[in-house]
Amino acid sequence: MATGLEAIASTELPGVAGRRSRAVLGVAAAVLAAMLLPFTVNHYWMQIGTLAFVYWVLIAGLDLIVGYAGALAVGFVGLLTIGAYTASILCEKAGWPAFAALLAAGTAGALFGFLIGLPSLRLKSFYFAMTTLGFSTIVTQVALGWESLTGGGIGLPGPMFPAPFDSPVGFYYLAFGMALIATYLLRNIAFSNFGRGLVAVRDAEVAAEAVGVPITRLKLMTFTLSGILAGMAGALFAARQTYITPDAFTFDLSVLFFIAVLIGGRGRVVGPMIGTVILTLLPEIAAPLVMWSNFLYAALLLLVVLLVPGGIAEFLERLFGKAVKGGGLEAPVPERLNAVLGEHASPKALTLEGVALHFGGVRALDGVSLTVRPGTVHGLIGPNGSGKTTLLNAASGFYTANAGRIAFGEAALTARSSDERAALGIGRTFQTPRVVGNLSVLENAMLGAYRQFTVHFPAVALGSRRGVKEDAAVRQRAVDALVAVGLRRLAHLRADQLQHTEQRLLEIARCLVMRPSILLLDEPAAGLSHDEIEHLRALIEHIRSLGVAILLVEHHADLVFQVSDEVTVLDVGRVLAHGAPAEVRVNAEVINAYLGT
Amino acid sequence: MPTSAPEWNGALLTAAGLGAGYGAIRVLEQVDITVHAGQVAALVGPNGAGKSTLLKALSGMIPKTAGRVTFAGQDITRLTTQACGRLGLVHVIEGHRVLPSLTVEENLLLAALDQPAAARRTRVDEAYEVFPEIGEKRALRAGTLSGGQQQMLVIAQGIVRHPKLLLLDEPSAGLAPVLIDRVLEVVSGFRTRGTAVFLVEQAVEKALRMADRVYALVHGRIVLDTDAQSARQPGVLERAYLGAAHAAS
Amino acid sequence: MVITILVAGIATGAIYAMIGISYNLMYATSKVVSFTPGQLGMIGAVFGAWFIGVLGFPLWIGFLAAMGVSIVFGYFTERVTVRPVLKSIEQHLYVLTTLAAAMMIQQVVAIWWGTDPRPFPHLFGLGTGLASEKYWLPVVACFVVFIALEWFYRKTLWGAAFIAVAEDVEAARALGIPDVRVRVLSYCLAAFVGALAGFWGGQLLLAFFALGATLTFYGFVPIALGGLGSNRGALIGGFFLGILQQTANYFVGGVFVGVVTFVVFITLLVLVPGGLYGTAIARRV
Repeated sequence: MATGLEAIASTELPGVAGRRSRAVLGVAAAVLAAMLLPFTVNHYWMQIGTLAFVYWVLIAGLDLIVGYAGALAVGFVGLLTIGAYTASILCEKAGWPAFAALLAAGTAGALFGFLIGLPSLRLKSFYFAMTTLGFSTIVTQVALGWESLTGGGIGLPGPMFPAPFDSPVGFYYLAFGMALIATYLLRNIAFSNFGRGLVAVRDAEVAAEAVGVPITRLKLMTFTLSGILAGMAGALFAARQTYITPDAFTFDLSVLFFIAVLIGGRGRVVGPMIGTVILTLLPEIAAPLVMWSNFLYAALLLLVVLLVPGGIAEFLERLFGKAVKGGGLEAPVPERLNAVLGEHASPKALTLEGVALHFGGVRALDGVSLTVRPGTVHGLIGPNGSGKTTLLNAASGFYTANAGRIAFGEAALTARSSDERAALGIGRTFQTPRVVGNLSVLENAMLGAYRQFTVHFPAVALGSRRGVKEDAAVRQRAVDALVAVGLRRLAHLRADQLQHTEQRLLEIARCLVMRPSILLLDEPAAGLSHDEIEHLRALIEHIRSLGVAILLVEHHADLVFQVSDEVTVLDVGRVLAHGAPAEVRVNAEVINAYLGT
Repeated sequence: MPTSAPEWNGALLTAAGLGAGYGAIRVLEQVDITVHAGQVAALVGPNGAGKSTLLKALSGMIPKTAGRVTFAGQDITRLTTQACGRLGLVHVIEGHRVLPSLTVEENLLLAALDQPAAARRTRVDEAYEVFPEIGEKRALRAGTLSGGQQQMLVIAQGIVRHPKLLLLDEPSAGLAPVLIDRVLEVVSGFRTRGTAVFLVEQAVEKALRMADRVYALVHGRIVLDTDAQSARQPGVLERAYLGAAHAAS
Repeated sequence: MVITILVAGIATGAIYAMIGISYNLMYATSKVVSFTPGQLGMIGAVFGAWFIGVLGFPLWIGFLAAMGVSIVFGYFTERVTVRPVLKSIEQHLYVLTTLAAAMMIQQVVAIWWGTDPRPFPHLFGLGTGLASEKYWLPVVACFVVFIALEWFYRKTLWGAAFIAVAEDVEAARALGIPDVRVRVLSYCLAAFVGALAGFWGGQLLLAFFALGATLTFYGFVPIALGGLGSNRGALIGGFFLGILQQTANYFVGGVFVGVVTFVVFITLLVLVPGGLYGTAIARRV
């Protein structure tokens, strides 16, 4: 993870040291080996090395799309084609210098990467895969058909880079340099809040929305970045081929890129790199089988998916990695919340007025009004199906109310999306915890601060210092939050290794890192033991004391009556009773609807 | 008045040390159940206790993680739902899940898919006799029926399959009070025809009135296993529930 | 000119519609959208040409043999690439496994059959010009398939069992319907229908290894238009696409037909995500 930050975290968290120095050593060795390659092997193998670097420039970008964002972009060869033709046409027909053409290819790639990104916002899995497949098919057809520009089936020469990059060795180092740059960009995004956001979008889209990840913007920026890389890879590819025809850009190439990411492991950096090397070498090693190489790629894809869905990276980790063990829950330290919440929790009240919401003919909410004031706990109880969770969904923007008004402080919420509401300071947890299973507990907590980063995507990609500093601050805040809820000793586990009840606490920690003005808690006590419920109560009371408003949906009536300042009872989508806990508790209707039967 | 199962017949269904769950989540642990031929056994317990999961594990709808199940003297631990059905262990799942775009008649005929055409016809007509109100709607799509009629249809599907033991999951859920009585009357009817019933029911009092044996499930464990008369004593169920809740905390 | 566009458009449209129905058949019982339907069409065309044109089998024997090859591949698809990943269907791994299966069969055919398109033999030798059998055979096949499937679903109990598994697999299983067998059968049926498209459309398509990829895409466009799971939608969408392509071919030339198709495809997907006869999107929270 990001440099220098582990020092802070490791003072309090177990299980961090040692990994970084090993990684640095590995990277240095790989770079040195690549530098020396031209002196140790013949030209033929060096050319293969060049090809692997060119592929990697594209695959590094694709890794963000497939491995991080989880979009099944199987037709990325289309972007390679566009980059190759842009550069070649500019050099050949307009006489541009090769480096200018390289940049132009990147620009064209950015444009088309953005365009491919657009359907990814609406289309899932197969539909998106089919779209990219269609895209790559069409690009090849256009390359073939637009003869006046592309030379059609006859093709045209690729760009010629000036000395010293005109020799095979020089070009090798050019490709190597580009590969290094691509790796740097990939690493910077992958290990930033954007990388975490992408994984969240991939694995737990609802959680991503709940912490305010602006999914549209994030995806489009990622697609644009990978478009740049793919376009530039195209220019390099054309230069290495020296002459391009549409035949050079078969769909199989696309699958090669895709598989390189998959066999490397999704959400990884080094794995796909190894995958690229393997797939570039495969046809060379299996020379007699060269006509079968596409079959082998496909078979490899099938085997990887069926047998090692985690790819090489996970396989190696299982082989060499030490099993990370968690230390179990600790008692929470609510006082640490002062550091987490800071003075940022600006007091705001949440007001619902006559909110109604129906699904088809079913009225889930039928004119509900309630106010949650800052620094108070508002308990919301009611029988199953009375609309409690629906109300939370309406307040946090996962559903849009059909009628009524929802306001937060001065801001009217009704028309805002869930991620905008999160940015305003509405934090929520879910009945079934929504955590990002493939991120560590600490990273999950850090996700909460997504909207508090001020650095932009391009700056982070280029390695901005400010981004690194902000990341460190958020990491520290996340550690504080984990200590506060009692998850300190589990911080380095993957979140899907936690038990349900621990995941609930993690959700609360993630919300606290948001520095929310209001917390919407959906059955936080479900499944907790008696002692754990007491801990939860202390935590809730401390959060309240810091001026945060809390809306507590809970079946555990004792907890609700103990901790709440006011209680609302819902029944079939309407408010049945409202008032101080003591009043509500003795209300006859409530007893009938809720405690009776 | 419930009669105890004849000893010579032995137990129709036994589950011993049964465990089951979904993925990493374990729902049932160490569940022991015995149902005798011709008996009605009721399974009660709070929401989320794992009642439906238990029925699903018994009928092979979900895999078991531990334990053994025998039915009519045969080990059925690893059998599929269909194989269980052929032996006479039939599961009517909760939520009156009819096949909405098929007609009522098709819904019933499908329940006898493995029978010869003539037997299929007879069995479906039998079901219409038990539920005349379903027979009137035989040509309609099942999705157009009311909730109560859909519930009758799924029980009728159970009848068509000629079960030795019927696993019935919340047959009265979401029904108007009149219909609850009607449905439960049919359930008692099963006993008179010699069909055993393992019943999960929200209307606990009514369920207890017709049951021979009562099991209470809390947090995935059986906390009460007694005859219905003792279970009807005031406070028995409550103590069983509470005891379990205290043990868990 | 209008007649030419219509005749050729309806003929290719019928082929796309059959591929679309093949998508639907697999989807219905497994909720999997497979990458293989186009390859099934390719198998129908290539193996039809091989059995009849090369080996000289009589028409109907050759037909059955080609269908047999396709059904074997259909069974392989279900058993190897779909069944193992059904448990975690929400991860959409079937996209990758079926893509792998599609690429494998394509490469095998490319090596064995060659990469050049070869002619498909005349089957009956009926009609010439626009009345040639190559234009109306796929249309006849398409309507026969459509009507036969309607009959199967509405009039037979096994058809009802297919619908049952498609609607609610858990309820169907509880009812004793052999859901796994139904799924396997539906994949074999899909393989049959897909290969029909390639076989009866063979004279139009030629016996060509790369047919698979093209048909996979063009056969999916009607699905995007008509809605996944609706055979009526596939039929209407198929004819629409066929005529659109022939019109584009006439006005802007062959190579840009793909561009037109793609633009229509994207526009449809983004504007009408569920298709004309599709179902609404489920709630998430």
